Amino acid sequence: MLNRGLFYLIAAIGLAAVTFLVTRHLVIQQAPVKVMSTIEARIATGAGGWNACFHNQVYGPRANAARRANPDSIISSMAYDLSDGPVRISGETWPRYWSISFYQQNSDNFFVMNDREMAEQRFDFILAMGGQDTSTLNGTLIVSPTAKGIMLIRRFAADASDMPGIIANQEALFCGPANADG
Amino acid sequence: MKFLIITLGAAAIIAASFFGARALTVKRITDQNSIFDTFEQVDAVWLYSDMIGAAAASNVERARVAIGGPLGLSAKEAVYFVATKDDQGAALQSQCTYRVTGQPIDTRWWSLTLYDSITQHYVPNDVNRSSWNSVSIPRSDSGEWIVNVAPEPQATAWLPTQSAPEQGFELMLRVYNPSAATRAILPNIELPKVERVSC
Repeated sequence: MLNRGLFYLIAAIGLAAVTFLVTRHLVIQQAPVKVMSTIEARIATGAGGWNACFHNQVYGPRANAARRANPDSIISSMAYDLSDGPVRISGETWPRYWSISFYQQNSDNFFVMNDREMAEQRFDFILAMGGQDTSTLNGTLIVSPTAKGIMLIRRFAADASDMPGIIANQEALFCGPANADG
Repeated sequence: MKFLIITLGAAAIIAASFFGARALTVKRITDQNSIFDTFEQVDAVWLYSDMIGAAAASNVERARVAIGGPLGLSAKEAVYFVATKDDQGAALQSQCTYRVTGQPIDTRWWSLTLYDSITQHYVPNDVNRSSWNSVSIPRSDSGEWIVNVAPEPQATAWLPTQSAPEQGFELMLRVYNPSAATRAILPNIELPKVERVSC
């Protein structure tokens, strides 16, 4: 009887421990994915859909900015979904500082390049998943590890006087399906 | 009957463990007091991490960054320093006045931004300022710069906090495209001093 009681006690502790550890692991692992999904939904709503550019055109602090956002970095963003094919991002860099960065669905920054690393001011990127056919598409290929994710373009604004130039730069930016005109 | 009791008992254990683990884990990765636990202490003031946005980050580091400051750049492009204490080791408090004194940093550009520790957002203020950057900051002939952090307006380079007592804040120093010489000594570059002037 004692042996049987001890068995149930050990089994209960073991079950509780396994459940605790598995849940803990899943919560930690899924937290970035949930955050990314929330931000993607916000960007897509602002841009009018996935695979479209969304621009911040205000210098300085904004009430609706992300946590610990940088007010000196003026952002264009795109929530991407490559399920229906590659996406094109094209435009021109910004001389004070410009970078393009891509975040996969677990929030890792898997690609970043700045204006000083570019051969010329104009850029034309094709974002695709591994295995997608990009042989007929012109542009520099970037492979995303996940179908969904976020692209950010950052431009350094020293003060508000940089904004007209940055807004013109933003308006020359194309984000969309790679088979559309860019 | 016995089988039913065992099954119900197991279900209760699983449910209690699941909800307990979820609550504790969410608290652990969202707690504002532990969000920088995995950052390296550079000196009495500044914390540093080169795991922002990095594939090599641990799951806990990745989760904390995603929640507390999503979409940061990897160390290949920019590095991040955070101050939550002054040079005497006291927590930064909104009602106090601080002087932040810095030397030129060998980098393409930098910015110093103030965030409320609780909301992790900008502090609303009448002059709509939450940062200074390497271009806009007034400098002496030697390149030294001073930012005055205070709830009341300051004569030069004011970074506003709020009057609320006991309200913590933090300073984030972002260094974009650091030079090779700067990278070689990271994180031990000459970081700004953060001194409490009055309180």
